[in-house]
Amino acid sequence: MTEHLPALVFLTPLATAISMPVAGHRRPALCRPIALIAICCMTVLSVASLWSVSVHGEIRYSFSGWLPPIGIEWLADSLAATMVTVVSGLGVLCLLFADGLGDRPLGGRAVPYYTMVLLLVAGLSGAIYAGDLFNIFVFLEVVSLSAYALVAVPGGRALVSAFRYLLMGALGTAFYLLGVGYFYAATGALNIADLSQRLPGLLDSKAVMGGLIFMFIGLAIKMALMPLHGWLPDAYSDAPASTVPLLAGLVTKISLLVWARILYWVMQPSADGGTLTIFALVTTFGILASVAGACLALRQRELKRMFAYGGISHVGLVLIGVGQANETGLSGAMYYLLNDAVMQCSLFVLAGFLALRYGASTLDELGRAHVRNPWAIVTFVAVGLGMVGLPPTGGFFGKLRILLGTLEADNNIAAAAVVLTTLITLGYFAQVFEKLVRAGSDSASAHQPETPWPLRATMAALVAAIVGLGIWNDQVVGLLVDATAPLGM
Amino acid sequence: MLELIEAALRRPNLIAFVLLLLWGLYITITHHNYVKKLVGLYIVQTSVIFFLVTTGAKEDATVPVILGGVEAPGADDYVNPLPQVLTLTAIVVQIATLGVSLGLVSRIYRRFGSLDEDEVLEKLG
Repeated sequence: MTEHLPALVFLTPLATAISMPVAGHRRPALCRPIALIAICCMTVLSVASLWSVSVHGEIRYSFSGWLPPIGIEWLADSLAATMVTVVSGLGVLCLLFADGLGDRPLGGRAVPYYTMVLLLVAGLSGAIYAGDLFNIFVFLEVVSLSAYALVAVPGGRALVSAFRYLLMGALGTAFYLLGVGYFYAATGALNIADLSQRLPGLLDSKAVMGGLIFMFIGLAIKMALMPLHGWLPDAYSDAPASTVPLLAGLVTKISLLVWARILYWVMQPSADGGTLTIFALVTTFGILASVAGACLALRQRELKRMFAYGGISHVGLVLIGVGQANETGLSGAMYYLLNDAVMQCSLFVLAGFLALRYGASTLDELGRAHVRNPWAIVTFVAVGLGMVGLPPTGGFFGKLRILLGTLEADNNIAAAAVVLTTLITLGYFAQVFEKLVRAGSDSASAHQPETPWPLRATMAALVAAIVGLGIWNDQVVGLLVDATAPLGM
Repeated sequence: MLELIEAALRRPNLIAFVLLLLWGLYITITHHNYVKKLVGLYIVQTSVIFFLVTTGAKEDATVPVILGGVEAPGADDYVNPLPQVLTLTAIVVQIATLGVSLGLVSRIYRRFGSLDEDEVLEKLG
């Protein structure tokens, strides 16, 4: 039974998404509970699969019994299992959040909306589990297409942002597919394990290097790496408040995970010559993105745009860790990736909450709003500590491991960039905090409405996740090291 | 340099692929009309599909279906079917992208009454 878990985790949201039009046709109000139940089931299954993977070791699932390299393989190591658990957990929280926010009712559009949300989550889990480069392409495209449609839901300005996102994203997937084509032409293989055995002799080949660079360009667009980030701030500030947490927390992170898989599981970092140049390139882009993204975030007056640029700078931090070609850096980067998913999700939950409840979407409006909501303030403090990187949170331990990785690789510039990003992040979070807790007259706080329970539950769970990932960092990092150990770094 | 050109001329398919790719990118970047941008995007995606099909092509080879005989098939006599299977999936993905993008464009047109990027941005303010 346990060996089928990875397939079931993926099929639960997919099957629900496909049957959604039938189930919700007559009663659109049923869509939200159905979606919530489906993702709850998926969470239970993914926790079970995480437990099974951590006890019995990785699961390699072959669909219909066709063994790789001929068949399609699902690679569920502890990295994939942890990531899927985070994806499904955040999916549940985002649906709860949408429930409590009381966003504009969707009416007849509820059916397509929740179908898209479920397809997004299914695509994310597929991209995490997929064991060959071509299926990763297919699932990245499932994720992206749902994301374009979800960004466009409010209409008006969001339509233009969604169209720009679509143009950039579709070019990105075209480049990624081109890179996959180069790899296939050079090796005749697409399966990750198969490729890693055929590549070592071919690293001097121009086709392999060209393919790697095309894949990097394609994934860089999708992960909003610094010079190619143009689509992200507009898309995230115009998308519906109840959807952004899901997009911001997960969509860009998947491309980062895929890139780490390609660099470490397909290529071998210990190999000679050409690969080291690629790792140096990745580190350089990481340094650029982390520092410049943080500086741009400091300049923003609008909360959602500030958080979006914060996310762009954190993509750079993860890439710095990935680019160090040692185990400390890689496991630190993957651990930071999990934390960043949770933190970005919480940031946009907060931004959506403040905008809808207090009408505060810029820093100045926030200063005038006199927010006296303990739930929002506690969540903000926890996320702020995590984003800046202070001890009780997971953000601290992730940054620490990335920093240790850079020092292990004697890369002082990268280490300096991590520290500098931390300081600038502290700068913009201090700004928001100052506005949030600014002392106001008590009369303003008298008529503040009660926070509905789904909102309180979402915020409490997010704070618990941020702090919990920090407290049990040894165990989580241990799981990730289990996944990276077979690479023999 | 001369050798590079000679090597390229022996593979006219790849020259066509590069030209299509660059042409599509040029259209996507320079044109201000949303539909023309989509045409450019479609050409880029088609060029990648063309490249995938090219990698599977072989001279004097036939469809990879073994009829009757029991003798072991020679790899030289059959084309590689995998690139074409990948191409089919990629075409499906391309059509899905086109559908979503045309849906977005038609909603932009109904909302702003224009398909020109400058005019739409002007109306957004």
